[in-house]
Amino acid sequence: MKKWLTFLLVAMLALVLAACTATKDAGKEPDKKDDPKPETEEGTEEGTEEAAGDKILYMNNGEEPTSFDPSIGFNAVSWSALNNIMEGLTRMDEDHKAVEATAEKIDISDDGLTYTFTIRENAKWSNGDPVTAGDFVFAWKHMLNPETASPAAFLAYFIEGAEAYNNGEGSAEDIAISAEDDKTFVVKLTSPNEAFPNIITNPSFFPINEKVASADPKWHTEAATFVGNGPFKLTKWDHDVSFEMEKNENYWDAGSVKLDTIHWAMVNESTTSYQMYQSNELDVTDVPAELSDQLKDSDELRIDDQAGLYFYRFNTSMEPFQNSKIRRAFGMAVDREEIVEFVTKNGEKPARGFVTYGFIGPDGKEFRDTVGDLVTYDPDEAKKLLEEGMKEEGYDTLPEITLSYNTSESHQNIAIALQSKFKEVLGVDAKLQNVESGVFLSDQKEFKYQMSRSSFLHDYADPLNALESFITGSSMNRTTWSNADYDKLIEDIKNETDENKRWDLLQQADKLLMEEMPVFPLYFYNSTTLEKPGVSGILRHPVGYIDLKYADKN
Amino acid sequence: MAVYIVKRFAMMIATIFIIATLTFFLMHAIPGSPFDEERTSNPTIQANLEKFYKLDQPVIVQYGHYLKSVATFDFGPSIKKPNETVNSLLKRGFPISAELGLITILVAVLSGITLGTFAALRHNGIIDYMAMAFAVVGISVPNFVLATLLIQQLAVNWQILPPATWSSPMHMILPTLALATGPTAIIARLTRSSMLEVLTQDYMKMARAKGLSPARIVLRHALRNALMPVVTIMGTMLAGILTGTFVIEKIFAIPGMGKYFVDSINNRDYPVIMGTTVFYSAFLVFMLFLVDIVYGFLDPRIKLHKKEGDA
Repeated sequence: MKKWLTFLLVAMLALVLAACTATKDAGKEPDKKDDPKPETEEGTEEGTEEAAGDKILYMNNGEEPTSFDPSIGFNAVSWSALNNIMEGLTRMDEDHKAVEATAEKIDISDDGLTYTFTIRENAKWSNGDPVTAGDFVFAWKHMLNPETASPAAFLAYFIEGAEAYNNGEGSAEDIAISAEDDKTFVVKLTSPNEAFPNIITNPSFFPINEKVASADPKWHTEAATFVGNGPFKLTKWDHDVSFEMEKNENYWDAGSVKLDTIHWAMVNESTTSYQMYQSNELDVTDVPAELSDQLKDSDELRIDDQAGLYFYRFNTSMEPFQNSKIRRAFGMAVDREEIVEFVTKNGEKPARGFVTYGFIGPDGKEFRDTVGDLVTYDPDEAKKLLEEGMKEEGYDTLPEITLSYNTSESHQNIAIALQSKFKEVLGVDAKLQNVESGVFLSDQKEFKYQMSRSSFLHDYADPLNALESFITGSSMNRTTWSNADYDKLIEDIKNETDENKRWDLLQQADKLLMEEMPVFPLYFYNSTTLEKPGVSGILRHPVGYIDLKYADKN
Repeated sequence: MAVYIVKRFAMMIATIFIIATLTFFLMHAIPGSPFDEERTSNPTIQANLEKFYKLDQPVIVQYGHYLKSVATFDFGPSIKKPNETVNSLLKRGFPISAELGLITILVAVLSGITLGTFAALRHNGIIDYMAMAFAVVGISVPNFVLATLLIQQLAVNWQILPPATWSSPMHMILPTLALATGPTAIIARLTRSSMLEVLTQDYMKMARAKGLSPARIVLRHALRNALMPVVTIMGTMLAGILTGTFVIEKIFAIPGMGKYFVDSINNRDYPVIMGTTVFYSAFLVFMLFLVDIVYGFLDPRIKLHKKEGDA
């Protein structure tokens, strides 16, 4: 018995000691420096603390990027990397405007249809090959090939012949993109589109090195075979664990790049990510929803506008929402201010129209400010509208109202806030229904809900992108709402070449949409992140992809 | 014995086939598709994607493809991760989940048995009360709560252990602790109660009367017999820990299998749902098969019963 006990005790003691020794080492590192990796720590020890060391930024990508094939990886987890290891013809600057990148010059024909891009002489791939116009032709045709099944292809439908090829009716030769010579790339659009230079900042329009991709169709699946043309090059990719990118010395503007290495973890749980940030294993993290209130005054907090909004859809073929007055009544019974302040608590801007902030018109004014508040919290007006609407429809009592949302705590909190406002202002007892997310989206598309939660995030920075969703029969409409005037407005906007007139039409569309109110907006999205002191230059755009080209860490 | 094994094996294959078929039809009965997303739903794009993944074919044809993929164990590419096949996901994820699971089992068994034995030997003493207090807490506190508490205390406040990921032995300590506490508590309680029972048996008095050393009595005579119930629950516990670590894997950002299993259902990623379900169920059925066979070897009384029954 004694021997056995002694053995156990010694074993346990050894374990505890082992833990303690490791403990002391681990405890010291974060105090001295931000690097959690002991190896890099040793490497920089010789230099004078920070200045001489490699600049390594620790980021979190949340999860494994879907794909580094620019035509396939159509989501934020792919873009955050792609936007830094590849580059398109244009790139977003600090003011969120698309400027020349791989292209050094963009010529637009007088009718606004033909774009001629001149590619920089010194634009090179990370393997040293020059970036050619042919690489763009190759990449764009790859995206539009129906067999690629690219989820991004619809963005290119502005290009003549693109949609026909993508839906199998046309051929690749008929797409109006061509390489005049090695450095001249020409595109012809179906109608003038001011947003075009902006649309092509999307990674789906990045070039693909034709030589590399033809030799190895799986070139994008591993770091060793990946060839990019961005400010950084992919050097390590441990699938589902992390990936790493280093400064690309072949990049045409390598002089502007300050970081040496960016390490991306893949931690999906926002609380864990925040805890890693606290223990200095990450330099940047998202704010976990539960902590947004607690962290709202933190010096390290950073809030950026995001072009998109949280809203509710009415089903205009279901009673009682066939009546626009009743729809308006519900929209006006909602106190948006209260929701952002007490429910979401994330510093969002309340939405009083459908088009988000951040769009500056030819007059230099903010779109949202010019249009003004189209839907506000107005209990008296809401009550009056409801009465009038009920009279028009001949209701004595309102049919039962059910509010549906996809299962999530935050959606539920908002739904409860809406429910209590409908009760308080309109005297309506609305029922709440939560549905599993996949089922919810499919049912919403089949118009099974009376009133349902929704959201929109811009694909490109133009009000049209949001407004276009509600033309008759659009797959983004999902309300059964159909209005000939609205359809015509959108059609006119697409064909309008005069900037001022176009802007005016866009404003009319926003007004008409809010007047008819097939949807009512709640708030505009923002992104809240924490950045360690010393981290600077990270660009986050309202529409777009995180850009680390100018990022720095001291 | 050989006939018994062959019989059990045939039943195992039948079970897997039934599970596979049920999975397929249940999966297609859930509304929604892998391409139902808030943003894109352009009809052309949708059609191209469906064609690419052969989802445009009749269900029965898809079922045929699926049975073939189950038989050859080749589930094709994932829909949400188009660059990867289901097999490569399994190959990458399972070893990590298994590693976490095995370490956990090892820790749980060793510490659970030790705790339980000491508690029984010092029945109603201070060690007993402390061990049982620990067991009650261990069973009642869910592992995800414990995980968050551990990270907050040890990784954030004291900074003595890394908070997440799976890259070095140091990284393994917290997830193992979080995951092992529950099973440890269960094993400790089980060991204690069966040990208490064994200690009152006549042959224990006999052993003492023979003048054996206390250590020998406990290890050789008491513990050995007291462990039978622990072995019994090991089968289910093993399967549970090797397969049910999704939450812990998520909290600690461990790139194991649990993530693929749960995410695939939320995403309606059909090939991954099928691959992980078939893999898990095959694994589980195989484990039960093993336990059944091993059990026959371990406890002679079970074999005796069978023979008597057969005759």
